[in-house]
Amino acid sequence: MSLLMSQPKTEIPSNAVAVAFFDPPAVRPGEGAVYRVSLNALEESVVWPEKLNAPPELGFRAGGHGQMMLFNGTNFLPHTAFNYHLRAPRVGRFTVPEFTVTVDGKPVTVPAAEFSVVDSPPASMAPAQGLVLEVPETNLYAGQAIKVRVLLGPSASGQLQTLMQVQLNGEGVLVDQAAGRQQVGPVRRGAGVVAAYIYETVLTPLQTGKLTVFAQGFSAGSRYFGPMPGAGRPRPVPVNLLQFTLLDSEPVELQVRPLPRQGELPGFTGAIGSFSLEPPRLMADPLQAGETVKLSVTVRGESNVGRLAAPPPPQVPDWQVFAATPEVSPPPSPFGVPGRQPPLAQGSATFVYTLIPLTTAARATPPIPFSYFDPKRAVYVDLTIPAVPVSVLPGEKGGDLRVLGQADRRSEESEKEPGLSGLAPGPGLAAATLAPVQRRPWFLLVQLAPAAAFFGLWAWDRRRRFLEQHPEVVLRRGARRALRRQRRALQRAARAGDARRFGEAAVAAMQAACAPHYPADPRALVGTDVLPLLRGVAQTSSLPYRGFPIRSFDQAGTACRLEVGDTAGWKPALRSLGSPVPALGCEISGLGPGELSIRDGTVAFEQLKQCCAGATKEQAVITQEPASAALRRGEREERREEFAEGAAEVARRFFVLTDAARFRPGGADAKELLALQPELEKVLEVMESRL
Amino acid sequence: MNREVNRWRIGLLLLGLDSAWSWLPACWSGRIGFQVLLLGLGIGVAAPCGAASVEALFREGAGAYRAGDYSGAARAFREAAGRQPASGTLQNLGNAEWQGGQAGRAMVAWEQALWLDPFNRAARSNLRFARKAAQVEAPELSWNEVVSTWLPMNWWAWITGASLWLAVGMVLLPGILRRRKAAWHQAVAALGIMVFLLSVPAHFGVHTRARLGFIVEKDAPLRLTPTGDAQVIARLSAGEAARWVRAHGPYALIRTSRALGWIDQAQFRLVCP
Repeated sequence: MSLLMSQPKTEIPSNAVAVAFFDPPAVRPGEGAVYRVSLNALEESVVWPEKLNAPPELGFRAGGHGQMMLFNGTNFLPHTAFNYHLRAPRVGRFTVPEFTVTVDGKPVTVPAAEFSVVDSPPASMAPAQGLVLEVPETNLYAGQAIKVRVLLGPSASGQLQTLMQVQLNGEGVLVDQAAGRQQVGPVRRGAGVVAAYIYETVLTPLQTGKLTVFAQGFSAGSRYFGPMPGAGRPRPVPVNLLQFTLLDSEPVELQVRPLPRQGELPGFTGAIGSFSLEPPRLMADPLQAGETVKLSVTVRGESNVGRLAAPPPPQVPDWQVFAATPEVSPPPSPFGVPGRQPPLAQGSATFVYTLIPLTTAARATPPIPFSYFDPKRAVYVDLTIPAVPVSVLPGEKGGDLRVLGQADRRSEESEKEPGLSGLAPGPGLAAATLAPVQRRPWFLLVQLAPAAAFFGLWAWDRRRRFLEQHPEVVLRRGARRALRRQRRALQRAARAGDARRFGEAAVAAMQAACAPHYPADPRALVGTDVLPLLRGVAQTSSLPYRGFPIRSFDQAGTACRLEVGDTAGWKPALRSLGSPVPALGCEISGLGPGELSIRDGTVAFEQLKQCCAGATKEQAVITQEPASAALRRGEREERREEFAEGAAEVARRFFVLTDAARFRPGGADAKELLALQPELEKVLEVMESRL
Repeated sequence: MNREVNRWRIGLLLLGLDSAWSWLPACWSGRIGFQVLLLGLGIGVAAPCGAASVEALFREGAGAYRAGDYSGAARAFREAAGRQPASGTLQNLGNAEWQGGQAGRAMVAWEQALWLDPFNRAARSNLRFARKAAQVEAPELSWNEVVSTWLPMNWWAWITGASLWLAVGMVLLPGILRRRKAAWHQAVAALGIMVFLLSVPAHFGVHTRARLGFIVEKDAPLRLTPTGDAQVIARLSAGEAARWVRAHGPYALIRTSRALGWIDQAQFRLVCP
């Protein structure tokens, strides 16, 4: 708590003030300058415009920007700076007009700044100070650590300056902050050598392609702690007290390539540079099975050994090997004070593996694959840690300890670190679209197709079973087909005038139509088989029997009414009249005791009509039912009878052709049969309707 | 290599009709269309139509990638994947996007590669690597969605349909065909029903997983309302997973593990667009 209380406060000014100027304010044409803006505010509170409203011919290029805390004796004050680099195009005066930035939500005006380009600037105007970023090589591999230096030379007056908050900016690079070292050393300036502030660190490109890096830092400070050439120990070096000015360097472009996939050796853990291996040392020999032993191996290199990853432990049946952790040893300090400065890209790393012999069959430690990539030769170099001979004695506990190694192997395989893979050799499994099939409308149709197929099969099966139980349906269907076929044949024969064929087709049609009623083979039927059937068909059919010469009873019985107790038919009605008819005073002949024929009925009704015409109203009898209804019913019966007789006659005449033995009396003239086509068609129509 | 080829054959048989139907509109032209139809039915093996141009784009992308031109490689792979989405093409697109610094787009491409082919180990490994590097979590999937990731997206639909109709067929066909019902008929029907019941959740998982998407821009603002001036309730990292709910103009309502809000649709990309 007391430590916290003793810390100076950070004072954030309520009203931020911006300062802008060119450094130097006047240069010759073609020379460079820096446009500097500083504010007494925290950098994160400043909303800086993406582009300044500067004269375009100056070619403004954004430089570094950063923040540092100034100590005014009692408090820390924030100091934020922005740099822009430009180059003088021609003689003239240029002005960056004032503009407004937002600091903590409040507008702050950055004043206008003027810049002169003259042929002979004043001698007192020194060029703008800058940093120099030294990169030993710019063609690198991704992951290759390189040592870089940031140099700040003496001021124009020759006084040494220092840097604070040195940092390297750039996308895709990693700067090892822990490896930063500073010193004052000789650097070449022009023809001479001067003492300069040097900041060294290790930079590692992580991305491939073209990368840009530049350095920045605040020049200032009254003290410098660091080694001095020729001095025995660090001591404060008085330097010139300067304003805290943000300095930056010109950007350096790096060309970074990926490591080649070809030729990669086992045990490569990302080590890039030049390394060597010291002989491994085993801490104990002989050993007992199950006893732990440490294997130490030291790797020396010129690259960043501090970042070196230990090669993974091998998986062997006789040994259980645990992963090692590197122990970095810094190189000997050239200044005689080891440990004062952090290690840079040199030194050594010691990997200590813990091994357990699982069987007495182990004669030597397993070789541990290790390799590195040599960027100078662009090849992978094998640096496998060799096997160390060892004697393994039987352990006290006994048992097969190899189970331990297997379990350990499985766990390590599952925890293998992922990495970016190489390119796929081919397009691989493809589809027309990324949308799943269930989102596409045709998928539903495809799924309904089996349903429709199954429904069709089910319906077909049901029909098949029905037909099996009702074979007459099949017979009638076949008969209908045969009948229609024969009708077409007889029609063709009629059109052609082929009377014999016409007759044969007609007979075949009638045979086909009658066959299901027996049932029998159609060809086996003869006229005597067909004729009774025709009569029955005609009497039960509901078709109108028009076209045959059957006399009409339309007028009969309409003049008077008969006393008919029921409507059973016209025959009982006529029978009930008796003869003579006492009610009418007339006599009706033909109503004998025998069967009444149509002709008898017709004659009787004619006489009845005449009787009714002569009867008076008083003589007429009121009946319950009109006689016409009974007569119409009787007419239908009569028509059926006549149709049956006519059809039988038609059939008889056709069957004469084929059943000569039975129908010979009529004589057979095939040509006359053609005239019977209408009657035949009607017969066949009726017969078809009964199928 | 043989395993790879066998897997391809099985895949072709299972994809079957889908592939045929899918390719037909693009390349129904005489013999090529017929070959594609045969390919879809699993009868023959023929190169899909337009394969030459896709292959050329694939090779162009691979060449650009090896030369370090990652933007050119991404462009070529993107065009190839647009013409015919393929697992390897999308995997390479993800690699190129990753090398170009587009972590979100890379993760979407790898997710799409796995959407087509879950057996693509390289894409899966790349996703793990990228999520570890970008410090983003893998999407949270329900159990049926996890099951749906075991097979390519279309296989579940076909397995569901085929198993159902297989079971129905084994029940109906012996009676219709007047065959005595054997034990194996019932066994196959039971197997079909079992596969159907097991595949339905995965089938549904594919449906819900199709609404999964990823943020493709860095620090994408998640807004309270679908307007440009709306309050920003969270900033999402590139590669962060979210579920699409609905769209409103240029904004999409998404649900992340942290919040529900609106995001510019240009900053969000579905695995199944």
